[in-house]
Amino acid sequence: MNPVLIAFCGALLVPLFVASWRLSLFGLAVQGLLMAWVSYELDPSLDSLAAWTTMFDLVVVRGLGAPIALYAVLRAQRATARHDVIPPNLMTWTLAVALVLVAFRFADMLVPLEGNEHSFVASASAAILLGLLVLATQTGPFSQMVGALRIENGIAMFELGVHHDPAMQIAQTIILITTILLFRWYLTTLPRTATAKVSAVEGMNL
Amino acid sequence: MTWLLLVALPVASALAVWTTRAASRASTVLLVTTAMTSIVAIGHAALPAVSPFLEGYVHGDATVQLFAPVVNVIFAGVAVYVRARVAIEPASRRFVFLALAFLAGSNLALLSNHLLLMWIGLEATTLAAALLIVRADAPSSRLASWRYLLFSSVGLGLVLLGLSCLTRSMELSGREATLFLDAMPAAVAHPADAWRQLGVALVILGIGTKLGLAPMYSWLPEAYDESPAPVTAILGAVQFNTALVFLFRIVSVYRPGSGELITGALLTIGLTSVGISTASIVATRNFKRLLAYASINHAGVIAIGLGLGSSASFGVLLYVLSNAFIKAILFLTAGKIEAHYNTKDTKAIAGLIKDLPFSGLFLMVGTFALLGFPPFGSFLGELLILSALVTSGQMFVFATFCMLITVSFVATGRTIFPMIWGEPKQARTWPPQRVTGALHKLIFLVLLLVLGIYIPPQLNALITQVARTLEP
Repeated sequence: MNPVLIAFCGALLVPLFVASWRLSLFGLAVQGLLMAWVSYELDPSLDSLAAWTTMFDLVVVRGLGAPIALYAVLRAQRATARHDVIPPNLMTWTLAVALVLVAFRFADMLVPLEGNEHSFVASASAAILLGLLVLATQTGPFSQMVGALRIENGIAMFELGVHHDPAMQIAQTIILITTILLFRWYLTTLPRTATAKVSAVEGMNL
Repeated sequence: MTWLLLVALPVASALAVWTTRAASRASTVLLVTTAMTSIVAIGHAALPAVSPFLEGYVHGDATVQLFAPVVNVIFAGVAVYVRARVAIEPASRRFVFLALAFLAGSNLALLSNHLLLMWIGLEATTLAAALLIVRADAPSSRLASWRYLLFSSVGLGLVLLGLSCLTRSMELSGREATLFLDAMPAAVAHPADAWRQLGVALVILGIGTKLGLAPMYSWLPEAYDESPAPVTAILGAVQFNTALVFLFRIVSVYRPGSGELITGALLTIGLTSVGISTASIVATRNFKRLLAYASINHAGVIAIGLGLGSSASFGVLLYVLSNAFIKAILFLTAGKIEAHYNTKDTKAIAGLIKDLPFSGLFLMVGTFALLGFPPFGSFLGELLILSALVTSGQMFVFATFCMLITVSFVATGRTIFPMIWGEPKQARTWPPQRVTGALHKLIFLVLLLVLGIYIPPQLNALITQVARTLEP
């Protein structure tokens, strides 16, 4: 497996076991920058607008923009250093590792031959599954944002090497930037542990 | 090219509202723009279908001709509601700007002949809607808005991932990968492989999230409950149909090769959604949530019908069109009722028919249509879906579906009817309701009756044409 992809998997896993919001954001930044590296390896010529848009998306938006935007808010809020991205217990940790194994097994099924494509699919699937794990186990907005951004990164990893019409890629990047700005706004305005209150009038929440 | 007015007009108006700071006229701009887009959409529906143009990215086929007028007319109705409420709560520039951006996104998604462009349109509506849900006076609406954005982002992310898988499947088959709808049938004419099955499943799951289908439906009751009435109507009747058109496109392209997967997935999530929403309808005492759960219920019915294909397709379309008007009527009426009683608790509201005659009447008629009574289109649509369940031999689904629908029927009636005909709990003062204030709902009601009693030949031909694309 490509060392860059091994580092990517490390950037997916390590922040889950270290309960720190700074490391979570650092993990997101590393994922973005490593994807940019992989993208550059795939297309070193960078001779099209689509390739440059992809680079901008990965380096500026995912690698720097999103983590810095969220970091600034949490720093201004003087958030405590500890922040569990997944519940800190043996079961969830085992589940996280198991999901990475499932991702690799899944890649074996889709791409039977070992090689770059197999590694891409495995890494992207791991990113998506771990993102879903974060979303499934957390109720706080920050953790959910980290989960959503992990899924977004997984999808971006999946799409590496695919260039659509440049106008569409630019539109996709604008959508991502707007989403991140909205995330930042929600992080500023929502309480740290935001859960919906359900009264008798609302009825049960299935 | 004039189809593009559906996108250009809202964009131009949104920019005008944003730059001219004409706050006092913002609601008028919304009304005029939606009226114009409605005229354009209806006008085009009467003309022959337009093949792809603008390098193939935009088209005006039968599906666009059928859904663009519905979406734009409902939006115009919402604009009338907003205009009528200006005296009570002035529409802000921000609201009108976002509503117009939403309309532009919806129309872009409908007109797209390219799945990625359609996805971009849907994302644009999501971003605009997330901000529209937020009410300055209700902090809880921010949480609902966040949950809406989170679920929508994940759902649309899954759709994008699904599109990537579908592209990879085409590449592996040795054909040129394309997401242009008119070229896709030829590009996918090869046996289904694992990438393709995965792609179709992800798209169904992702779009199911936007439609409020199980398993990722939990954002919907909260978002519909917390949003201002016009926004709930927009989400329920406009965004729902735009997302549904995306699903229609996928079903029509992939049914030939992946029919079994599509049928299985849609029947499962459809029936699960009907089951979950039925239990929630029984439990809730909040009438806005009840309508939201009814929306999930209806999305489930649509998924079941779409899963069956064949003779159910016409019924599904009839049900979808009726549903759009029912939701618009009910959610706008719910806003009026909430404003009057200052509560959403069904136990605290009674005697609507005396207290607020028009709202009571619309709630009554809307509920009958919601429950699938004749002579509304929803009755005929549901009947055709049930009949297709029997003829296709899906007896388990048929029996479970009938049982669940009966329970939700009784539970909805038990909750809503005392609100309409019960004895008023206290005397309230309210300016007398004028017919002009309810004109938009009256128009929706007429359209609803038209779908149930007499479908004009041209509309019938359009529905039949679209239904054919959904059949195996």
